[in-house]
Amino acid sequence: MGDKARGDVLQGTLDMLVLKSLQLGPMHGWGITERLDVGSERVLQVGQGSLYPALYRLERQGFIASEWGTTENNRQARFYKLTTAGRKRLAEERASWVRLSRAVELVLQMGEG
Amino acid sequence: MRRRVRDFALRISGLFRRGGMEHRLDSEMRFHLDMLTEKHIRAGVEADEARRLALAAFGGAERFKDDARDEYRSQLVDELVQDVRYALRVMRRSPGFAIAAALTFALGIGASTAMFSVVHGVLLRPLPYADPGRLVVLWERDVARGSDHNVVGVSTFEAWRERARSFDGMAGLVPLPATIAGAPTPERVMGAEVSPGYFRLLGVPPALGREFSAEEERSGGADVLVLSDGFWRSHFAADRTVLGRTLSIDGRPHTIVGVMPARFDPPQFAWLGEQAFWRPFGGTDNNRSWGRFLLVIARVKPTVSIEAARHELEGIAAQRAVEVKESEGWSSSLIGLTEQITGDVRLPLLVLLGAVGLLLLMAITNVANLTLGLVRRREHELAVRRAIGATSTRLLRQLVTQSAVVGLIGCAIGMVAAVAGVRGLMSLLPPEMPRTSSIRVDGTVLVFSAVVSLIASLSVGAIAAARGGRVAAQTLRESGGRAAARLRGGSLVTVEIALGLVLTVLAGLTMRTFSALRTVELGFDADRVVITRVGVSGPRYRTPGSQIQFFDQLLTRVRALPGVQSASVVSTRPFGGMGPATTLGDASAPVASDSLVADMRFADATLFRTLRIPLLAGSTFDTRDAPGAPPRIVINQTMARTLWPNGSALGKRARIPMFGGITAEVIGVVGDVHLMDARTPPRATVYLAGSRFPSTTWDVVVRGNVDPETLTRSLRHAVTALDPAVPTYWVSTLESLVSGTLARDRFTAVLLGTFAVVSLLLAGVGIYGVFAGDVAQRRKEIGIRVALGAPTSGVITLVMRRAMTRAILGITLGMGGALLAARGMASLLFGVASTDPLSFITVALLLLVVAVAATLVPALRAARVSPLVAIRVDR
Repeated sequence: MGDKARGDVLQGTLDMLVLKSLQLGPMHGWGITERLDVGSERVLQVGQGSLYPALYRLERQGFIASEWGTTENNRQARFYKLTTAGRKRLAEERASWVRLSRAVELVLQMGEG
Repeated sequence: MRRRVRDFALRISGLFRRGGMEHRLDSEMRFHLDMLTEKHIRAGVEADEARRLALAAFGGAERFKDDARDEYRSQLVDELVQDVRYALRVMRRSPGFAIAAALTFALGIGASTAMFSVVHGVLLRPLPYADPGRLVVLWERDVARGSDHNVVGVSTFEAWRERARSFDGMAGLVPLPATIAGAPTPERVMGAEVSPGYFRLLGVPPALGREFSAEEERSGGADVLVLSDGFWRSHFAADRTVLGRTLSIDGRPHTIVGVMPARFDPPQFAWLGEQAFWRPFGGTDNNRSWGRFLLVIARVKPTVSIEAARHELEGIAAQRAVEVKESEGWSSSLIGLTEQITGDVRLPLLVLLGAVGLLLLMAITNVANLTLGLVRRREHELAVRRAIGATSTRLLRQLVTQSAVVGLIGCAIGMVAAVAGVRGLMSLLPPEMPRTSSIRVDGTVLVFSAVVSLIASLSVGAIAAARGGRVAAQTLRESGGRAAARLRGGSLVTVEIALGLVLTVLAGLTMRTFSALRTVELGFDADRVVITRVGVSGPRYRTPGSQIQFFDQLLTRVRALPGVQSASVVSTRPFGGMGPATTLGDASAPVASDSLVADMRFADATLFRTLRIPLLAGSTFDTRDAPGAPPRIVINQTMARTLWPNGSALGKRARIPMFGGITAEVIGVVGDVHLMDARTPPRATVYLAGSRFPSTTWDVVVRGNVDPETLTRSLRHAVTALDPAVPTYWVSTLESLVSGTLARDRFTAVLLGTFAVVSLLLAGVGIYGVFAGDVAQRRKEIGIRVALGAPTSGVITLVMRRAMTRAILGITLGMGGALLAARGMASLLFGVASTDPLSFITVALLLLVVAVAATLVPALRAARVSPLVAIRVDR
């Protein structure tokens, strides 16, 4: 599914992205995919098959919490929000992501000086 | 921590509330799908097509729901199954461990379950009556002598019943031994006279017919009967038309008006034993003058507290003490029926239950020890598994799972053993133990057993986790090296020694009690004495003369029997339960309200010779003691010393309030005799001549070279020859009566002795296990010491010193515990103080010997460790 230009998201990265998208405020599953879609300028498309297991996993780990709520169109949806632990987790993941991507970039730039 | 709790709660709720989880998944998916469809529609796609696209994008909805579900439900169950399999595998590989651990568990669980079922049946199960907590027994209280539980006079009972407002009913009871006519021989059966309303009071209506009406109380009770289910079945073949038929009791026809149901188990206490029938009891001018003889049961109103009822009754007793001369100096007391019935056996049973609890603790300690030993042996394996990715939490969980598996197996065996154990216990139970019929392994007992098993398994798991945790946490590099966590079961050794010491001290004290009771000088010679009771009844024996004649002839015939050395009669045989007692005093002194209480026994002149009670002064009865003659008495030494401390008692006169008040001349003084049991010291005793005070019923006491069965048979013949309608019953040897009163002490001593032996074994095995493991773990260190020149004795000392430090700590702690425990059971002891130094020191030394013996083998093994071990490569 999806063309090659669009990136599949590594699982560990997905968790970070979900946490990040919830940093903007509580949101339901659909809203999260939209946020990621828009935020990545359509590059990152997260399938439901990955999203919901990730949400449940994060909830079980205590990084996010959820409750039933109403959307602007007056529909029932499960809203997820970041917990304090989740906020901390996001900061950590983000720091290590920066370190990793910088390292990868450095390697890729070798000899291109 | 909080996160972990929530995580766990979520997993658990995920496990059990699958429905809720499915619902949540569905709702979320549907919402997502709808949003996707709307998005397509906004982009200009037809509604149907949009839906199709959304569904396609959605892909295998069910498959990804599976993924989500898995995240939700977690791997807990899978891991548990894995862990159980792993535990079983480990146990298969170490069958020695598995068997030892399971059997130790089974021992602890089995013993405590069996003991609990006895305690539950006797003490905890409610009495089989309606609202048994409101049933109480009322007694007269002798204020001056501080004697709380005296039987009640008829007029006192009637006054209580009439005036008290706290009770929903009150019934008087008196045992009624009776002769019923029957073929081939007349039969002696025990029944009771009870106030009308008695069965209603207990809340058990007759199965057939009715209970007594209030009118049937008049003039000493009508001649009507209610039968027990057992008697109805054995004597009337469970005939339902039995109502209205008559049964002759003591020569008087009685009409049967009711039959009680099989489940009716009448209260038995004081001298109220088994009851085959009941007839109404009623006060008469005659029995109101008999003094105190009634047992009284009452039901306290639900709206009245037991305390208030007691208070009201005391108030009425206080009024009576002013109104009636005989009640002067008497008050009342009230005790719950349950406590009345089981009060005597409560403490011994609780002590035994406590002892079993200690045994269970030892079993748990031992299994924990065994588990630690296993951890120690698998130390390297654990480290390897950790190195390839197992978390220490997971390893710990496996340890706990393993304990639980061992625990479950052990408990299963234990429960089966408990069923057999209960049967064994039942056969050991002393005959006087109340309510034995309600002892059984039932749901409550099994729940108890399961809970105890669970706690035991978890305790072992917790100990294993707490102490094995370091091993599970250590890395491969550390394992076997100097940094290796050393598993020392040291504190477990201390615990075992302490528990073993407490149990053994308790056992020692009860065994010394038992042997002290056995060696009490009883005052008579029980060897080769057989006693049977003979009672005459009916019109033929109305006159005292006919009664005297019958028993005189009987004694003459019995004395002529082959092998009989001596034969006599007595009103109540020694160790045959309570007999009459009265207050009395020196006839020449003024009446004092605190005068002496003396046991009364009626006997013929030869009783002292037959029982070999020494005649210390004077003589015994002779032909002068005929009906109507001035009464003469033989008294015991205690009475002679108390009433006439200076000079001889012979020729002195005692004032006795029985028979309307008599004064009697002392003609002889005999040695003191234990009449009740070995424990109770003899009190003042008066013997009156049976020929002066005739009676219809006597215990015939025979000494001779005759076995009880033969004697009973020839006695039976002798009686039948005189009158075939006279029954003989309650045959016993005096020795069996004596040992019967020791039954409870024997029961406690035997059980505690067994527990003590088992506890010593457990302690020995436990200590051995700890130090054997310790030596195995320190082989390398010991090897180095030996290589550096440590002498064999030094190595042995090394091991022994550690063991002894632990043992001595354990002994010190155990001494403290044993002192406390022994003080708790002080009232069960006899002839030995609860702080008896001999018992404590002996037991302490015994435990020390056990500790030394159990450590010696590992110590010697340590001494044989080759120095080569030190330079050998790890494992």
